[in-house]
Amino acid sequence: MNRLTNKAVIAAACWTLAALPGLLSAPALAADNAPYKVAAGNKVDAQTLSGWKTWRAMACERCHGAAQEGMVGPSLVNSLKVLSKEEFKATVLKGRIEKGMPNFENSKMVSENIDNLYAYLKGRSDGAIEPGRLQEIGK
Amino acid sequence: MSFTSRLIRWWPCLALAAAPAFAADSDVEQLTKDPKNWAMQSGNLANHRYSELKQITAQNAKNLQVAWTFSTGVLRGHEGGPLVVGDTMYIHSPFPNKVFALSLEDQSIRWKYEPKQDPTVIPVMCCDTVNRGVAYANGKIFLQQADTTLVALDAKTGAELWKIKVGDPKIGETTTNTPHVFKDKVLTGISGGEFGVRGRVTAHDINTGKILWKAYSTGPDNELMVDPGRTMTWTDGKMAPIGPNSSLKTWQGDQWKLGGGTTWGWYSYDPATNLVYYGTGNPSTWNPRQRPGDNKWSMTIFARDLDTGMAKWVYQMTPHDEWDYDGVNEMILADIKVKGQPRKALVHFDRNGFGYTLDRVSGELLVAEKYDPKVNWATHVDMKTGRPQVVAKYSTDKNGPDVNSKGICPSALGSKDQQPASFNRKTGLFYVPTNHVCMDYEPFQIEYTAGQPYVGSTLSMYAAPNSHGGLGNFIAWDAGTGKIVWSKPEKFSVWSGALSTAGDVVFYGTLEGYLKAVDLNGKELWKFKTPSGIIGNVHTWEYKGKQYIGVLSGIGGWAGIGLAAGLTKGTEGLGAVGGYKDLAKYTELGGVLTVFALPDR
Repeated sequence: MNRLTNKAVIAAACWTLAALPGLLSAPALAADNAPYKVAAGNKVDAQTLSGWKTWRAMACERCHGAAQEGMVGPSLVNSLKVLSKEEFKATVLKGRIEKGMPNFENSKMVSENIDNLYAYLKGRSDGAIEPGRLQEIGK
Repeated sequence: MSFTSRLIRWWPCLALAAAPAFAADSDVEQLTKDPKNWAMQSGNLANHRYSELKQITAQNAKNLQVAWTFSTGVLRGHEGGPLVVGDTMYIHSPFPNKVFALSLEDQSIRWKYEPKQDPTVIPVMCCDTVNRGVAYANGKIFLQQADTTLVALDAKTGAELWKIKVGDPKIGETTTNTPHVFKDKVLTGISGGEFGVRGRVTAHDINTGKILWKAYSTGPDNELMVDPGRTMTWTDGKMAPIGPNSSLKTWQGDQWKLGGGTTWGWYSYDPATNLVYYGTGNPSTWNPRQRPGDNKWSMTIFARDLDTGMAKWVYQMTPHDEWDYDGVNEMILADIKVKGQPRKALVHFDRNGFGYTLDRVSGELLVAEKYDPKVNWATHVDMKTGRPQVVAKYSTDKNGPDVNSKGICPSALGSKDQQPASFNRKTGLFYVPTNHVCMDYEPFQIEYTAGQPYVGSTLSMYAAPNSHGGLGNFIAWDAGTGKIVWSKPEKFSVWSGALSTAGDVVFYGTLEGYLKAVDLNGKELWKFKTPSGIIGNVHTWEYKGKQYIGVLSGIGGWAGIGLAAGLTKGTEGLGAVGGYKDLAKYTELGGVLTVFALPDR
């Protein structure tokens, strides 16, 4: 594995998805209109679980960090606070090639799960879902 | 440039028709014999990273000062290093893979080359865009671009002479290795072990780029370029033929087609045996349950005849990898005493934490010992079978998918990654930059889609527990006995290629950005903070009677990886060890070459 990289490390000054600085994330409970359901921080609805599995399968942590904190790619905890759902989908599906963000429109898994992926990352950004492994509610 | 080589350059047809056999050999071997040059990435054909220069000594190294600096104008990880041939330095950058020819007289830029590459290669290299430097021979510079284009440039003008594409980024194939010029050929590899590519090495004519042979790491015998009855491997305490279908038998169905075994390391060549030595990378995917069998010939040392490409012998270090312990690290050729007997040895510090010494002529296994005492995934290498004895608790295959195997040492970074060691011809010892990092590893089921990541595992990495708390060591190693002679702890992994010299000084860079000089006992003599973290390789040359030391800084590569605590609850483990996160306190991006020398008297 030679190309995995990053500079987790290094303040992600090279680019950010959003122009605005991220707000400090206060732990939050899922609002009534949230796209995800969460219990005890690590139990989520089936759709959000599929979103997490998509995140994992595409090895997104290689650029964005295991806790979405940002490495060579930007912090998604911050980005999801300012990106609209449509902007998010366009970025993931079309990519930002010059900056190193792949276009995932050719991935069946991502295309089918784009709403689920958004739900998962929104939950992470809101501070309602914990980083790491998740389970389905009631399983 | 010799008359013959000039002849060949301008009159390839004539050369083909009439030149005597020796005329085909390039001048690179001769150039490496003059210590004033640094004509290959590793200094010589044998990957020694050692210099006979001795103006800078253990006594005066404390007086080293900056002579000049040069910015590549590129961010991201700067691996490899510049070459020096005569009065010119050739320096490269990560993507977009610029090349500069600098005059050593006044550091002016004689020419600059910047290839046009499709930027879609960047995400496939996710997340760094490293390149390990150019090669030189017969008035040509060879550059292996990220997009798999191998190009030859005129060393005087930078004009393109020929180019050839050796892979397809659309299916995840990229290239990061240096080209290797041996005799009249230039050899190159492929990267993309995380995208299910099929590893191979290609040999090209240095004058035209034409492919002379292509040898895969996995698949049928003819594509492996092996002879089932004559290609040998260590079997039951002796060398024996590998037999038919040696690779196919160790994969399920046609999984070998996505088998990995990439070839992005540092190759070496022994003119006496006419053998080229290189290692192959991890089998795809990282979920071992999905690919039962030994997955040959991933994780393997290959010895091939340079002219025919046929493998003379092979040795698989990590059968059925369950940890991402690529076998690509440099193959160092050294004539040393092994267990008291003089041997033509090959020494290799594998990612799996074992330092191997083999007979490079026959392929016999001589020594395999841990070069970091914390290595725990295997108790030892069985010297009869050559197989590591895996500890069940750390078997990610046995524990299975969706189970987190914890406390495995080393991490996927290996006890050493590509950062090359130095062999000191005076002391007979090896000076090795190492990682001191362990991991938790959780594999999961993954489907293959061409051009998409094909990893299937989540990792967390942290400094080796119950040790000095740092992420690396710089060690001296006796390959004849398999013992650590001394070990100098470092706060971060040592991700810089080492250099040792006849002046009894050993140099290496650190991730915070220090270039350090130590004596033969590992005592620090001098250090200097360069502009960014160092993952480049230290090199040395002489110009107008003065010895210089140079190193590229520019943090990046896998070395800068954050602690991937993918599986812990909450933020437990995230930065728990501080680890690489602390790097941000020391360094930022930016590629700069810093050159050092002793003050004028």
